[in-house]
Amino acid sequence: MLQKAKDGLMDIKLFRRVMNWGKAWSLWSVHLETGCCGPEDMARACARFDTERFGTLPFPTLRECDLIFVTGFVTKKMAKRLKIVYEQMPEPKYVIAIGHCAISGGLWWDSYSVVQGVDEIIPVDVYVPGCPPRPEAWIQGIRMLQEKIAKEGMRKK
Amino acid sequence: MIDKSAEELIVDSVKARFPEEVIEAKVQRKNRVSISVRNNRIYDVGLFLRDELEFDHIASVSGVDYIDMNEFEVIYYVWSINKKVLVGLRTKIPRDNPVLKSLVDVWEGVLYHEREVWEMFGIKFEGHPNLSLLLLPEDWDGPPPLRKDFVLPETHQERLEEKIKKLSSG
Amino acid sequence: MSIMKLSIGPQHPISAHFRFLLDVDGDVVLKLEPDVGYTHRGIEKLAEKRTYLQNLPVIERVNSYCDSAGTMLGYLEVIEELMGLEVPERAKYLRVIAAELNRIASHLYAASLFSVATGLETMLMWPINDRELILDLLERLTGQRITYTYQTIGGVRFDMPDGFKEEALKRLDYLEKRTEDYYKMLLWNHTFHMRTKKVGILRPSDAIKLGVVGPNLRASGVKVDVRKDEPYEVYDRFDFSIPTGKNGDSYDRLEVRFKEVGQSINILRQALKDIPKGPIKKWVPPIVPKGEAYTRVEAARGEFGYHLIGDGSMKPYRLKISPPSFRNLIALPHLCQNIPLADVPIIYISLDLIPMDVDR
Ligand code: SF4
Repeated sequence: MLQKAKDGLMDIKLFRRVMNWGKAWSLWSVHLETGCCGPEDMARACARFDTERFGTLPFPTLRECDLIFVTGFVTKKMAKRLKIVYEQMPEPKYVIAIGHCAISGGLWWDSYSVVQGVDEIIPVDVYVPGCPPRPEAWIQGIRMLQEKIAKEGMRKK
Repeated sequence: MIDKSAEELIVDSVKARFPEEVIEAKVQRKNRVSISVRNNRIYDVGLFLRDELEFDHIASVSGVDYIDMNEFEVIYYVWSINKKVLVGLRTKIPRDNPVLKSLVDVWEGVLYHEREVWEMFGIKFEGHPNLSLLLLPEDWDGPPPLRKDFVLPETHQERLEEKIKKLSSG
Repeated sequence: MSIMKLSIGPQHPISAHFRFLLDVDGDVVLKLEPDVGYTHRGIEKLAEKRTYLQNLPVIERVNSYCDSAGTMLGYLEVIEELMGLEVPERAKYLRVIAAELNRIASHLYAASLFSVATGLETMLMWPINDRELILDLLERLTGQRITYTYQTIGGVRFDMPDGFKEEALKRLDYLEKRTEDYYKMLLWNHTFHMRTKKVGILRPSDAIKLGVVGPNLRASGVKVDVRKDEPYEVYDRFDFSIPTGKNGDSYDRLEVRFKEVGQSINILRQALKDIPKGPIKKWVPPIVPKGEAYTRVEAARGEFGYHLIGDGSMKPYRLKISPPSFRNLIALPHLCQNIPLADVPIIYISLDLIPMDVDR
């Protein structure tokens, strides 16, 4: 029995799977609203859509979070703070870009103060289009991220 | 004698008090009065509106860039809660030297409004306690964005080229 | 004692897109300076570049925190005033229905944020869930949950779907009953009283002097509502009252919002009852004549002012938006003087400032 458990732990593949499972199902998201997709953030976190089913719990302290929802456009003023927040978060950390604006600037493509896509500032894992995306789409984004994490190698990220 | 409406009474009293300074005062429609004054006396007219005509609730301060005429127009919109009239107190200032006396002492509520007009048009308000950037990014170094000579990219193409240039240089 | 400088936000649960610069002495806040602009998109500049029709979705996002319909109404009003356009009757009613549903959604949202600030987690969930009922209704009517672009120049885009009226009335009845629960859970809650009563008292004279608008002004006891002062659309046909508060503290500001939900339900019932039959849209050329107009509308968070200068082309020469939260912002530093640090979130939330529409 003991031997079996030891072998199991030594088995890097199994270990990796357990690690990834743990990472994928405890994606706590930091409270940082950047754009006007914000109300849907509230909706998806509350009882009707309840993303806590998928382990995504909004949490105020960024030191304990692994996920940023970039909710919509990012202005140049916010971009610096977004970067600081991202850098302060401990590994592993993931980013979901919500809304057309976070993906490519969207409606504000010619604005003088909006960054044209968050991937200019921080790396993005999943893009969720919509203006704003419905809570179901948020959930799909979370699921996609979980699938991505499940395939992840141990070293990377 | 025909009864005059509240709007007409306001126009008459402003005209009677400031015959020189008021360039034009008229009733736009029901509940709307427009008064345009010379820019050096806007403070006094403002005080008169507040103290004697009960215009107490500031609604908005807006700037307009008339680039063809080389002028800025600044408009203070003030609502009177008792009279239910909105007055547009407007004045024109030259585009080359945009300075105006601040009305913070008259209506305290214009504090942020004037700051916004300052950063968006570059109009200086003399006597304003804190003219610093409010909405723009703190390292903003372009011209004031709402001036007509500040142009935004016309097409996606231009924007993309800009982005490529930025990426390749930095 | 030495004075310390604190900076809170923008990553902070209470200050979504804001930063507060505080001067504190111990835990007494001496001065608060709000640092805004984190969501500034330059809508006024963008509006000059787009045509009137293209502007619809842009303007709507000035305040898309559950109040798109109310925001949009003002923009359409100002265009239609310049054009001298009379909208079909049915369209007017539909616009009012959308705007009032939005007002309810927005106030429920505000209530849930308020409960978070006071640490009452149950009341975070309840209003948000009831808001879903309203959003579902709006989705049926307009096809979207948050941003509708439902009202357009000359009318509205879609007619009321079948069965909408009955469903809406049913949900409004439910919501009215539900409000009692809110009173039990939140407004008559002793803990809540302790945290919000006599916190952030805004005197009526100060509120007027600072130019505060909307429910915040009415909570101070000043009876100002554009829907009564200058009725637009069909508000003059409805029978409703303007709730006001007595003390102007944070508690009153929330209570006024709850009472307003009741009045909105009232208006909606009347609107659904006497909505006439007829066309919902008038075709109009997308050109606005030369001229200038200023209109005011009462959105959920207060009075929106739109100042439009048209130059006879398809694009506005200048569109100035004077949103309610920008005008309420000045009350925040005014109220946060010599108060305990723990009261700052309560005051901030009670003013219901939405950074989107502070910054535009
Ligand atoms: S995608 Fe739409 S709703 Fe989201 S931030 Fe952009 S404009 Fe706002």
